Amino acid sequence: MTSDQNEDHIPDAIEMPAPTYWPMILAFGITLLVAGLVTQVAVSVVGLLLLLLGAVGWFKEIFPMEKHELVPVLPESQRAQPIKVSSRSVARLQAGVASHRVRIPAQIHPYSSGIKGGLVGGIAMALVACLYGFIAHDSIWYPINLLAAVALPSMAMADLTQLKAFDGTSFIIALICHAAFSCLVGLLFAILLPMLPSRRAAFWGSFLSPILWSALVWATLGLINPTLNARINWIWFVASQIAFGMVTGYIIHHSKMVETMQTWPLAARAGLEARGVMYEKGGEK
Amino acid sequence: MAVQEVALARAPEMHPSIITRLHELVVTVDHKKLGLMYIAAALFFFTVAGSMAALMRLQLVVPNNDFISPQVFNRLFTMHGTAMVFLVGMPILAGLANYLVPLMIGARDMALPRLNAFGFWMFFFGGLLLYFSYLAGAGLSGMGSAPDVGWFAYSPLTARAFSPGMSTDYWILAILLGGIGSIVTAINLIATIFCMRCKGMTLMRMPMFVWLMLIVAGMILLAMPPLSAAQIMLLLDRFLGAMFFDTQAGGSAVLWQHFFWIFGHPEVYILIMPAFAVASEIIPVFSRKPIFGYPFMVAAAIMIGFISFGVWAHHMFTVGMSSIGNTFFAVTTMLVGVPTGIKIFNWLGTMYGGKIRFELPMLFCIGFLFQFLIAGLTGIMLAAAPFDWQLSDSTFVVAHFHFVLIGGLLYTIFAAIYYWYPKAIGRMLNKKLGLWHFWLFTIGFHLTFDTMHIPGFLGMPRRIYTYDAGRGWEVFNMISTIGVALQAAAVLCLVINLLWSARKGEKAGDDPWDAWTLEWATTSPPPAYNFEVLPKVRSRRPLWDIKHPEDPDWRYE
Amino acid sequence: MTSADALSRGIESAEWKLPSRRKAALLALILTETALFSIFVAAYVFYLGKSLTGPYPKDVLELPIIATICLLSSSLTIVFAERAFEQEKYSAFKLWWFITIVLGLIFIASTAREWYRLITKQGLTISTNLFGTTFYSLVGLHASHVIVGLTLLVLVLSLSLRGYVKQRHAEHLKMVSWYWHFVDAVWVVVLTVVYIIGR
Repeated sequence: MTSDQNEDHIPDAIEMPAPTYWPMILAFGITLLVAGLVTQVAVSVVGLLLLLLGAVGWFKEIFPMEKHELVPVLPESQRAQPIKVSSRSVARLQAGVASHRVRIPAQIHPYSSGIKGGLVGGIAMALVACLYGFIAHDSIWYPINLLAAVALPSMAMADLTQLKAFDGTSFIIALICHAAFSCLVGLLFAILLPMLPSRRAAFWGSFLSPILWSALVWATLGLINPTLNARINWIWFVASQIAFGMVTGYIIHHSKMVETMQTWPLAARAGLEARGVMYEKGGEK
Repeated sequence: MAVQEVALARAPEMHPSIITRLHELVVTVDHKKLGLMYIAAALFFFTVAGSMAALMRLQLVVPNNDFISPQVFNRLFTMHGTAMVFLVGMPILAGLANYLVPLMIGARDMALPRLNAFGFWMFFFGGLLLYFSYLAGAGLSGMGSAPDVGWFAYSPLTARAFSPGMSTDYWILAILLGGIGSIVTAINLIATIFCMRCKGMTLMRMPMFVWLMLIVAGMILLAMPPLSAAQIMLLLDRFLGAMFFDTQAGGSAVLWQHFFWIFGHPEVYILIMPAFAVASEIIPVFSRKPIFGYPFMVAAAIMIGFISFGVWAHHMFTVGMSSIGNTFFAVTTMLVGVPTGIKIFNWLGTMYGGKIRFELPMLFCIGFLFQFLIAGLTGIMLAAAPFDWQLSDSTFVVAHFHFVLIGGLLYTIFAAIYYWYPKAIGRMLNKKLGLWHFWLFTIGFHLTFDTMHIPGFLGMPRRIYTYDAGRGWEVFNMISTIGVALQAAAVLCLVINLLWSARKGEKAGDDPWDAWTLEWATTSPPPAYNFEVLPKVRSRRPLWDIKHPEDPDWRYE
Repeated sequence: MTSADALSRGIESAEWKLPSRRKAALLALILTETALFSIFVAAYVFYLGKSLTGPYPKDVLELPIIATICLLSSSLTIVFAERAFEQEKYSAFKLWWFITIVLGLIFIASTAREWYRLITKQGLTISTNLFGTTFYSLVGLHASHVIVGLTLLVLVLSLSLRGYVKQRHAEHLKMVSWYWHFVDAVWVVVLTVVYIIGR
């Protein structure tokens, strides 16, 4: 809005948009115009007149040039005080300092290993589940149809014969559900494993996590998939979970660890040159 | 309007008469005056609509009460809801954005100052028209005075046959006018934020407040028109005999619900995002740490903005949609929990390890964090469709969204008042009165709304004007009403504080909170032109850079 | 030294370019108008074939070929007008601008004739059936935007005939033209939904 050449120089006066009542007249006109609908036509007529008046007045305000007024700049005594350099010093929160509880993984398994492990583990789990279907009900489609019942209302109401038969839609839905969950849980494994006490990775990955997961499923399955809940065989379920855990854990555990940037100095992370070693950006006291 | 007049009284060497001052308000295009006018008008409507809520609580304090007739009760909850959303929530966010955005981005005014004034007057006259219905609605054919169809005005209750007289038309027209005002303000905000930033203020260096207001403005642009369109259709139905929502002619009453909630749900986020905006400014300053995970905060806000347009039908689980529809909207609704969770964790991350100052703005923000978390959790409960079938239209839902709007939004608005009042008026608010305000309000709020969840579980529907004894609802309703008295006392503390501190408060100086954004680089109150020389910035915290030349932010950004 | 000085100290006056506020505001306006039209289009599509009584679209609607050609070509002529204005060929500018207005007027006149025919001959009003309700409101909403656009166009023409329009208003003209393009684009949608799919 201002067009002074030297922009750091304080001018004597500054151009600001000139005050005007036309917007208010226009708004009042519109209000009366619609208020006429619920009162009297005469109100609408007055409103229309005000509306036209307001529109013309407003237009004159901005055409051919927007109107401005010069506001004198306040004398120096009433201007803002200069900003002082703070006497406080900056303290940074650093990893390793007592009372700082952050555990930062220096090396992690690549996320891709989690997805890979999840998918392969998912296949292992599916094999166990299908084996169960074959042994217990003579049909490898039985567990697949049960899984699909989470999203397919028709499967949720099916009887045993239907559950044993092959069904294209439910196969695809079960496949998508199973693959998506396998990937996500695999990813979770890959992220969590380096955060857990590391010597016991096989134990954590293969047994405890599947059992915890099974417990979670046991508690919630009645809400998520009542059909499956009614027909589930928990021993086989836990067995298939452990198959998943063992395979996924094995693949993730044997992937090559990659270094994270978490322990690098910030400057190194940003590729910048800065003095000293700086850790986290957040945190000064 | 007391706030505004005092601000003007500090203009140099002059003591203008009241007429001159009023004239100045009418003709002003200054973003700061308009911002304060928005806030003052919104606080006025807040006290009116709040009193209406108190009347309703009084009616419900004991079973079989006949303090208020059912007709009056219907009008009360309609006007309370409508006014709180359209005449308090929306204008107060417009007011905060108007006052603060240009200051924060180092500009002299909004991009379109005259349009800004127009937006304010549209809202203001719309609000007056809505309340005018109490006087004039009964005039024609003597049927009803104020609107009584609920704030979402479900069809076919709004058809001529079921809602004779003019009361529903008042509701339509007043909200339509306010809607134009909101859209105009949103357009103006977008133009301001994109086109008026001072040198060096790239998008990723804007304060979080500005980012969130930008997203809110974008959401208003997309969410208000569906409401306006639906209201125009309803108007055509009522005046020209069109059949949009006329079920006997093949029209669909559910279509109104879809259109209304396509507006209505984003509207909830439009109201809560300014709360995020305020919290994102105050929490870092009083934790003496920069905001944690700025890029993620921006991304989460954008995600919330997008998701909010895909969740509307969770208000309609009880209508009887297909199971696919129910599942879809339940899942998308729960999805909102992800970015919202990111935000809550980032605020906690900001506070973690910081040197926290428990000043009044921070107290209200901490209250916001706790209460908004509870609001979010009950929200996820209601997002599960079967749970919603049980509890929809019960007082549990009322308690849930009052936790969002009072525990979330109103708390941060109080925080914003305590934080920016010194900037706008030049004097600090009294801390002792402020503490009274905080504790009375917090206790009152929890008495009223924590207990209100329970009668919902016990089957008490919302919007009933009375109930029979012996259903186990009595004690909870009694406690709820007692809480209202404490809240009213707390608001009284605030009003007294606002008026008293304007004359007698401690002088604030330019930067009373040792803060970092540009509004604290100018005087309190700022001159008409905001900055003698437009500032230039190099980081997200320009004042920090000056206060700490040994360790400025721009080294890291 | 004031705080503003301190803030700007040490910052090189690099190139700092921001978008034009008129363009940003107009794009925002177009966005919000798009949302408005989408709701009316959605209502039209939702109620397709749901009318309980006649007349039905296939009986009474005719493809408005001439009106469409006029409105779409007016988008072209307004671009010519703009270009002439940029090259300071003011009489060419006024001529193209005038042609744009005439084309817009033909469109409005043909809509008016269509409505007249529907109301008097076919007996279709806004309160006849759902088709009437949605048809008149959607087409009417578009027509009202055409009328607003025409008002702006006429305003510009009358001002430029009196010589008030200068090069510094180039961006204002561009905004009018953008709005006009938007109205055109909406017509393409309305045409497709109402006259092609809906029939």
